[in-house]
Amino acid sequence: MDRKHRISARCNRPTVRLNASARAIDSIMREAGLDAAEKERFLGWAIKSLINTYKEERMNQRILIENEVKQLGLRFPNGTVKQDYSHSFPLPTDKIYDIQLEGAEKVGLTFAVTADGVGTLAGVPTTSGDFSLILKFKTVEGEPESELKIPIAFNPNPRDLWRNVPTHSDIPYYKPDSETAYIKVEAAADGAPRKDIVAASQRGRSHAQEGRPRDDHFSLFHCADSDWYVIAVADGAGSAKYSRKGSEVACKTVVDHCKSLLVDNPEFEKAILDYAADREDTAKRTALTRGVIDIVYKGAMKAHEAVKSVSANCEGSKLKDFATTLMFAVCKRYDFGWFIASFWVGDGAMAIFDAERKTVKLLGTPDEGEFSGQTRFLTMPEIFHDTDAVAKRVRMSIVDDFTALFLMTDGVSDPMFETDRNLNDYAKWEEFYSALRNGFPKDEIEGVDLTDDNEAAQTQLLRWLDFWSPGNHDDRTIAILY
Amino acid sequence: MRRLPVYLLIDTSGSMRGEPIESVKVGLETMVSSLRQEPYALESVCLSIITFDREVKQILPLTPLDELQLPEITTPESGPTHTGLALKLLCEMVDKEVQKGTPDRKGDWKPLLFIMTDGKPSDTLLYNEMIPEVKARNFAGIVACAAGMSARTEPLKALTDDVVALETVDSTAFKQFFKWVSGTIVEGNRSMGASDGIELPPPPAEVNVII
Repeated sequence: MDRKHRISARCNRPTVRLNASARAIDSIMREAGLDAAEKERFLGWAIKSLINTYKEERMNQRILIENEVKQLGLRFPNGTVKQDYSHSFPLPTDKIYDIQLEGAEKVGLTFAVTADGVGTLAGVPTTSGDFSLILKFKTVEGEPESELKIPIAFNPNPRDLWRNVPTHSDIPYYKPDSETAYIKVEAAADGAPRKDIVAASQRGRSHAQEGRPRDDHFSLFHCADSDWYVIAVADGAGSAKYSRKGSEVACKTVVDHCKSLLVDNPEFEKAILDYAADREDTAKRTALTRGVIDIVYKGAMKAHEAVKSVSANCEGSKLKDFATTLMFAVCKRYDFGWFIASFWVGDGAMAIFDAERKTVKLLGTPDEGEFSGQTRFLTMPEIFHDTDAVAKRVRMSIVDDFTALFLMTDGVSDPMFETDRNLNDYAKWEEFYSALRNGFPKDEIEGVDLTDDNEAAQTQLLRWLDFWSPGNHDDRTIAILY
Repeated sequence: MRRLPVYLLIDTSGSMRGEPIESVKVGLETMVSSLRQEPYALESVCLSIITFDREVKQILPLTPLDELQLPEITTPESGPTHTGLALKLLCEMVDKEVQKGTPDRKGDWKPLLFIMTDGKPSDTLLYNEMIPEVKARNFAGIVACAAGMSARTEPLKALTDDVVALETVDSTAFKQFFKWVSGTIVEGNRSMGASDGIELPPPPAEVNVII
């Protein structure tokens, strides 16, 4: 059989069958009372209307699937520029195919769908802004491609947005944007090392961003003859226009006051020694308490008065324009151990940390309100009128020894401890101490070498204060006796 | 982390349909993208949007600025303006969403409230009842905006001293208004910790301060 013949033979059989079915249709039409002459017209009508139904059904099916995809509520979480982005989500690949995500490449991302129906959008976003990605997919063969718009935004990295605008030196009460200090106390005659003080104060990023001044302050003092240490740290209220002066005056006043009452005060020294020798004796305790109140509590009152007089001499200003917190401690080492007396109003943290005995003693309670930023200030007269003013704010401690005495403003304590409860948790202080010494390698922030007589610690500490903590960009000040 | 909650109450009654609401949308987009350029705002601002017409809806629950995507805003053909009901929902949401400080948790910064309307409350009784409730919520600042000529400022003045007016409800006016709002939020960010609330930055020419 030649090729041509074979083809015609194969085609023959369907023709026969077609004839048979045509005859069947004719007979059905006859039975239904339809004339054979109308056959063509009828068939044309039937096919057209069926095709419409078919198309409609196909379209409905597409819309059904489209709605199903819409119902998934696909959302892409926002990303950050130049930081890895990856988001995976399930797609109904049993119902949709040829899935693409238009616009992904333009923003530096790629999109892929696995065989088991997991779509992944990943990559490193290149530009910041709000974008619309379009999910394109097919649902039913013959139907047009479906589209779903999905918004996505890439934020700039907040770290790239900070500016460091120097403070104008001609503003009233100007102070440098940062400050450090180190008080090196040489070893005793017997060669035993003695504690040093290191302190640093850094203007917060939120201030640097707008060229506003640093409101924090600290003052340190050590008397070589009497061996008394005095440390004061103050946080000027961010909202008060001259708080930088308030914090400065407060620190200087208490240090001067304590200095004058400590360097040559045999009566107070005796009271300390008497009480240390017999801590159950109430009369001795009262005598010492009286001395502590004269030095510490009255020092705070004096600081309040000093700020008040500065504000009185500054035309058009109110005392609250100089609002500041204040914490300070006076310390001295004796044969029985360390004597520490302190005063604290406002937030931040002041604590005796002992890594060997694994203890921490908070020297008061931070004043925190229901909402952030609601604290108490030295400049509020009522803080001296409270019935528990002394009991709440003044502390007297005797300890064998300690690793470090910390005084810090909330610019440091907030990011490091977050909550008041954590401030009483030794484990958190251990973490803090470790962060202080080891720095934050991931952010290229080096640690502080707190070995005896290391004067370089002050610059290390200042650099350490630049650590990154989202949302925490207040002035940061810390003083450490170690 | 301490958040700065910002609540936006937007009138979506029938009269806002068309150009006004489209202009509001553009204004919101501009506001969000300009706030995202402020590092402090980017890390601390959280935004919530409540729309009010006959219905009152929180179309955006309090969401951090870096995570949020602006939702669709729709307006009905016509109907009343339930401003009082919007304040009621606002109070519920503030109670639910704004965190107060506890020994275990840092409190949020005091929230800010912006309310924009082009008419007057239809539910006057409820509106007046809600005013002391809103005031008790300790907002650091409440700014009310009367948009367009038919907006009534008197009811807004009962809510806050900071009432501003827009003469027109076109895209320029809303763009300027929302630009000013974002400036106010940044200012709120800056003066966080203030005892007496925030100071408003000077408004642009399109925004009139009502005294």
